[in-house]
Amino acid sequence: MTAMMRRVAAGVLLAMMAVASARAEAIDRRAVLAQLCGTGAAESLAGLRLLLDAAPGLSPADAQWGLAVAAAFSGKALHCGANGEAVLTGPGGTVDAATLQTGALPADSRAPLPSLRARVVLEQVSAALTLFADTPARDRLAAVRTLGRRSDGLPANLVPAALERAHDPAVVSALRDMQAEAGLHAADPQRRIDAIRTIGDTATSATATRLRALRADPAFSADPAVSAALDGAIARVDRRVAIGNALSLLYNGISAGSVLFMSAVGLAIIFGLMGVINLAQGELIMLGAYVTYCVQQALVMAAPAWVDWYPLLAIPVVFVITGAAGVVIELAVIRHLYQRPLMTLLATWAISLLLINLVRVGFGTQNLQFMTPPWLRGGVNLVGDFLVTWNHLFAIGFAALALLATAALLRLTDLGLFIRAVTQNRGMAGCVGISSRRIDMAAFGFGAGLAGLGGLALSPIYNVNPTMGTGFIIDSFMVVVLGGVGSLAGTALASLGVGLVNVGIEPYYGAVAAKVIALLLIILIIQWRPEGLVATRGRR
Amino acid sequence: MSGVLDRGTLTAGGLLGLVIVLLPLSALGVVPLPALPIYGVNLLGQIMCFALLAMSVDLMWGGAGVLSLGHGLFFAFGGYLCAMHLLRTAFAETHVLPDFLLFMGHGGFPSWWSLFDSPATTALAILALPALLAFAFGYVSFRSRVNGVYFSIITQALTYTAMLLMFRNDTGFGGNNGMTGFRSVAGLPAGSLPAAVLLATLSGCAVLVVLLGGRLLLASRFGRLLTAIRDDEPRLRFLGYDTLWLKLAAWCLSACIAAVAGALYVPQVGIINPSLLDPALSLEIAVWVAIGGRGGLCGAILGAALINGAKFWLAGAAPTLWPFVLSLLVLAVVLLLPNGLLDLRNRSRAWMTDLSRGPLPRLRAP
Repeated sequence: MTAMMRRVAAGVLLAMMAVASARAEAIDRRAVLAQLCGTGAAESLAGLRLLLDAAPGLSPADAQWGLAVAAAFSGKALHCGANGEAVLTGPGGTVDAATLQTGALPADSRAPLPSLRARVVLEQVSAALTLFADTPARDRLAAVRTLGRRSDGLPANLVPAALERAHDPAVVSALRDMQAEAGLHAADPQRRIDAIRTIGDTATSATATRLRALRADPAFSADPAVSAALDGAIARVDRRVAIGNALSLLYNGISAGSVLFMSAVGLAIIFGLMGVINLAQGELIMLGAYVTYCVQQALVMAAPAWVDWYPLLAIPVVFVITGAAGVVIELAVIRHLYQRPLMTLLATWAISLLLINLVRVGFGTQNLQFMTPPWLRGGVNLVGDFLVTWNHLFAIGFAALALLATAALLRLTDLGLFIRAVTQNRGMAGCVGISSRRIDMAAFGFGAGLAGLGGLALSPIYNVNPTMGTGFIIDSFMVVVLGGVGSLAGTALASLGVGLVNVGIEPYYGAVAAKVIALLLIILIIQWRPEGLVATRGRR
Repeated sequence: MSGVLDRGTLTAGGLLGLVIVLLPLSALGVVPLPALPIYGVNLLGQIMCFALLAMSVDLMWGGAGVLSLGHGLFFAFGGYLCAMHLLRTAFAETHVLPDFLLFMGHGGFPSWWSLFDSPATTALAILALPALLAFAFGYVSFRSRVNGVYFSIITQALTYTAMLLMFRNDTGFGGNNGMTGFRSVAGLPAGSLPAAVLLATLSGCAVLVVLLGGRLLLASRFGRLLTAIRDDEPRLRFLGYDTLWLKLAAWCLSACIAAVAGALYVPQVGIINPSLLDPALSLEIAVWVAIGGRGGLCGAILGAALINGAKFWLAGAAPTLWPFVLSLLVLAVVLLLPNGLLDLRNRSRAWMTDLSRGPLPRLRAP
């Protein structure tokens, strides 16, 4: 047992020594420096090539040394003495070029200047060495890109060796891409096929275009095996891109639908309850976005640590402020106009005009600059070109939560019960002791608060300016009409439908045609179901 | 006849008659008036077009209780038709294509534009095409009993869609730049004083005709049926009247008047672009009527003249103030004077009585 262990230990030791000596022999620092210090352009070029060819086998320390020398050579900081000594000068003092220990500048030294051709190789050398030294992933990624741009004359084992040492997934995938790229031009058909497979693994429309370009290339269509592999890869990529496109259409449609829902849900409740259309609904959305902005600014000043969470912290503030604005509007104006619903249109229009201009005077007409917190930035690529962006996901999740909250309010609370009762029959609800006026006020405030939350959810996606609300009212009302007046489920359904139709038509016929077609569809559907898709029961 | 010619109508009619007679006479130099400022004449003409437009909305709203928030569509329709005629006549003079056609890479006018060479077919188109559009839209809406706020918003949506459509360059009517570059109006050089006087006089005549004709119509049997629709449409239906056709007739007539207003308006401003289709403008028309007072057509003229006069004046004096003035005025009128400024007289009489009588004991609300 012990003997065996000893033998194993000895073996390991020997192997380590072998590796260590191999590493030690991997580069002759003096030889490289001598070449670099040579007087001719060819000599320095040969020195750089020496460094480049040795790069795949270098230890991190050697690679670090190589980087330092290359950087010094490129910056004219490599000084060569007459007797073959070389030093590097820099802000940290003068060091010996071979050992990187402190040294002294030789008496009659000169700093060789890299030629133009040498500079090209120098760039390759620096990038290659970066992959083998202890460098941050960001630098490595940049190095891979550089190598990808200047891939001629690289040693064949460079990329495989770099792959062995790479850990960061982005660097690994970039290296794979590069390997595949190199493989495409390999003489061996098997390597070409492998390369095609690797490229096909990342299924985006860019790779599809790339593979199609290859099929047109006679060098690839000549060999039947390669050409078959190419066709297979194209089919695979196309399928996944198609799936990705369908999914992103769905995703964008749902996202547009959730925006519509947030702006329409308050309108639907108010219209169902009071038969009043609040043309200032869009301006309440705008108000919500502005309150969100104020919360963000207040956090910047008072509690910078919490700024990243401002979209969540703003929720109660926005709801309360826009809800209060709604209550004020109801008390001051709407209440007096119940017998004249057409006049409420004009009155609420006047309110919207007033709000727009108040905000314009207070904040100016330019778009507000919102900070995008890190958790709303970017997204994740699922399949093909389909990118799930966090800010749209935020809007979708927000709308879903608003739907749930509204449904809970209408179904589970007393207020919801009263709202439903007054919606169905105002007179009868009054007879059994419900104060319909107070319910109106509460519902109007609630609807306004929801609109404000809509503004909050929109702020990472839309341009926020005083006139942002004007575009919403017509679309929202179409959704209400389509879904059925006063029906929450109908509103949700209709917003999803209109969102999907809009997004589905837009790429083919343009945004205007999408709007026109959506409007015509709605007018047609009203012919067929005047009550909307989901009609509420009621005796009115 | 007493219902047709009340004091407001007589005042408005008299003023209009004065304008119609004095304008051309002073332009011809028959009546020695101080020199006419071209800007003033133009302004007067524009305001009268707006009055015409307001009356067309009032005919539907005050008459049948149907509020259209989309009359900008018919106004702009008439305007575009007129502009097409003006462009064709300009082309006949100069043989230079309008910029928007060159810009879109067209070698000439689309062939069907030649229909607009003659003033007669253009006039026919202005009277017929917008009415036809109104018929199609009104038929599907009224048939499925879309009314009240519902109808108003759908008209607004229609205008909005039309605006989006006209904003596109590919639609073929100049896109967002619209159509401009008119050379002559009925033989008179565009932008000159004679042309301005002619157009203002024509607009005045149109306003007068529509005012008198409209009041006659509203006092007739048809007008009484419209009033019945406004007050209780289901009951009228139960009595055996087909309200669909009554409403449609009024609706098409109203669209026709709006189109004429647009056709008279465009040569006066010298340009037409999709901003006339802005839903906010269509809403403003209703605001003029609401502020002036509904139902009698005089209120519409008063409202349009007042608001547009104030707008022209404030646009120069204090442009940022105008939206505040307008919105507060609307709120005040809507809350305090349910039937607009025409209500002021009755209201003030009631208030004075109240003041002299002292407060009545208030009944408790049920």
